[in-house]
Amino acid sequence: MANVIWTWIAAGLTLAIFSFLYKDNPFYKLAEHIYVGSSAAFWFIYLWYFDVKPKLVDAWLQNTGFEKYILIVPAILAVLMLTRFIPTISWLSRWAIAFTVGMGAGLGITGALQGFLVPQLQATLLPIWVNVSDKFTVNLGYSLNNFILVVGTIATIFYFYFSKEHRGGLGYASKVGITFIMIAFGASFGYTVMARISLLIGRLFFLLHDWLHLV
Amino acid sequence: MNFWERLGKIDRRIIYLVVFLGVIIPILLKVTFRVEPMREVKQAYEEVEKLPPGSAVMISIDYDASSMPELQPMLVAILEHCFKKDLKVIMLGHWPLGLPLGQIALDKVAKKYGKVYGKDYVFLGFRPGVAAVMINLGKEIRQVFNSDYKGTPIDSLPIMQNIHNYNDIGILIGLEAGSTGDMWVQFAQARYNAKIILGATAVVAPDLYPYLQANQIVGLIGGLRGAADYESLVHVLGPAYLGMPAQTTIHVLVVILIILGNLGYFATRRKK
Amino acid sequence: MRREVPLFITFISGILLVIALFIPHKPFGNLEQRFNDWYIIVSGFTMILGIDSLLLHHWNNFKRKREGWIYSIALMLAFFITLIWGFYSGIKVGSPFKPNASFLKYFYTFVFVPLQATMFSLLAFFIASAAYRAFRARTFDATLLLTAAALVMLGRVPEGNRASVYLFGIALLIAAIVLLLEAKERVSTFEKLLHYLGAAVAIVLIYVQYRILPSYLPQIADWIMNIPQLAAKRGIFIGIALGGIAMSLRIILGIERTYLK
Repeated sequence: MANVIWTWIAAGLTLAIFSFLYKDNPFYKLAEHIYVGSSAAFWFIYLWYFDVKPKLVDAWLQNTGFEKYILIVPAILAVLMLTRFIPTISWLSRWAIAFTVGMGAGLGITGALQGFLVPQLQATLLPIWVNVSDKFTVNLGYSLNNFILVVGTIATIFYFYFSKEHRGGLGYASKVGITFIMIAFGASFGYTVMARISLLIGRLFFLLHDWLHLV
Repeated sequence: MNFWERLGKIDRRIIYLVVFLGVIIPILLKVTFRVEPMREVKQAYEEVEKLPPGSAVMISIDYDASSMPELQPMLVAILEHCFKKDLKVIMLGHWPLGLPLGQIALDKVAKKYGKVYGKDYVFLGFRPGVAAVMINLGKEIRQVFNSDYKGTPIDSLPIMQNIHNYNDIGILIGLEAGSTGDMWVQFAQARYNAKIILGATAVVAPDLYPYLQANQIVGLIGGLRGAADYESLVHVLGPAYLGMPAQTTIHVLVVILIILGNLGYFATRRKK
Repeated sequence: MRREVPLFITFISGILLVIALFIPHKPFGNLEQRFNDWYIIVSGFTMILGIDSLLLHHWNNFKRKREGWIYSIALMLAFFITLIWGFYSGIKVGSPFKPNASFLKYFYTFVFVPLQATMFSLLAFFIASAAYRAFRARTFDATLLLTAAALVMLGRVPEGNRASVYLFGIALLIAAIVLLLEAKERVSTFEKLLHYLGAAVAIVLIYVQYRILPSYLPQIADWIMNIPQLAAKRGIFIGIALGGIAMSLRIILGIERTYLK
């Protein structure tokens, strides 16, 4: 029984949001604000149960010696972060923010360098002629694909090279680049349509299946 | 305003209504279309299929309810595959608002196959810090997750006995609605050579093809279509498969709308 | 103190991670692990800052009775009810996320999920309407984008190939007619010829697509995704990665200081 009532509540909230399609109205606004408020609280609960409690509170109680007392460092940083709420000492929060910004920058460099640039550039160094089959046309197809991939990648990079005016050779390269970019944006648009429609299918499936039991 | 010009100025509410009907009618009529799985989805399926029974699969929930209709069916199909093959499932994630979705599906599918929590599957939960979490998982999982979501120390769970880092994981499967998938590749794969499959919303999927070509990931499941492919590969026809006819209908409709819009545009331009 | 200490902290934490990438042994490897662990703890608190400013904003809305203050009350009520429910559930069964916790069973499943999922499903309507309104084949580039989008959209769904023949046939026919009509109005002979040529190509393409699309559309979509699409994305992401590295270096070296404001 409880589930039936809750399903009706869920359906009501779903319809309240759909009502926005007709025009903005109090039901939609209410649902929207409930969503924002409860998701903020949800974050809070999650951070307590999956960050502060296990990583600070439980760790403090379970660990001994060095491993226990070293926790004071992140605890201080965390408290400094919260000084933001007290205007007179809010500048102290910069110390904690500096730490997260520095870590973010360090992680950004290592990830981009080791995880993206090197492997992606390696994967672009493709053979101009591929010998995978006895058939000439099959080999030609693979080789052509490799060629297009290499040219497309380089031309796109040239398109985003702004330090020099796009004239002459660079102009041609960036024109080829924009052609590839248009195809990529088109493909991405197609995929975006696909994604958005899927979301609607999911919601309407909920209304028809879980709520109205029509399918 | 003549007929041609009117074509370019259809009220948006009429378009909304047509979209609404275009989704509802195929669902109500229970139409089904056969899907021929895409290459990159088959590849993902075969990688999981190759794992010997008892291997561990790490699944990361990096989405929330805003993309649930695409990724939840994908997750369920993958879980079905894992449990059918007696693989061990370790679940965690980076999107707090969506993690319970993963947990709910995990509990449900595990129950269906009579799997035991702590022995056959575990839900570790979440730690903030994305990249920092991924790097440290490659050193020692216990350092990041001292306990599971219930607060049980993970050393006391049989499933975690011989599992310390990515070397002990057969495959890492990330379900992605944002850029967390890139992070998995850039930190878990590039640094620790973890084998990764990414399942992603259709918005994210196109951006992941460069990783596939570079062999940084070994499979890619994109969007509801990808989920439908995986469902048909594991022979569990769920919401993704059933949603395909509606998906086709709206895609056709959108192309028709683009054509109509252009007709209206060229008609008015000529008049000017 | 107010500037030097933060700059120093940023430098040390950033540079350590870079060194640890190249020298992953003691002491850098362990230090990296330690710093990551601290980062995991501290970044949780960063999120609390965001929550606070949200609540403050709505509290002020309510206090000053700004337009829509009623909704601000709803937001704050929702926040506190969720918070209390979550912690109550947590105290009762150990964690609000256990399967038998009422927080997960009812609030999350029947309130939170429907709200979030439906909010984003509205985008389906908006994108259909936007496709109709904004996608005009004004230039060659725009036409290319449209064609790629249509090929991928129809090529990635079952039975899309069957529908594609009619849709592309009609689109090409329209293109041919538009080109013929426009050719009449051109003054220069060269432009006239160009338009006639375009119309002829469109008519030939009607036949070509009729022969090709029904059986090969899925493969065509596959090719677009795996070759030209991939090439452009790789180029774009290489650019972004280079920019990201430059920015990170500026932050670590203290050249970029906007985060201290």
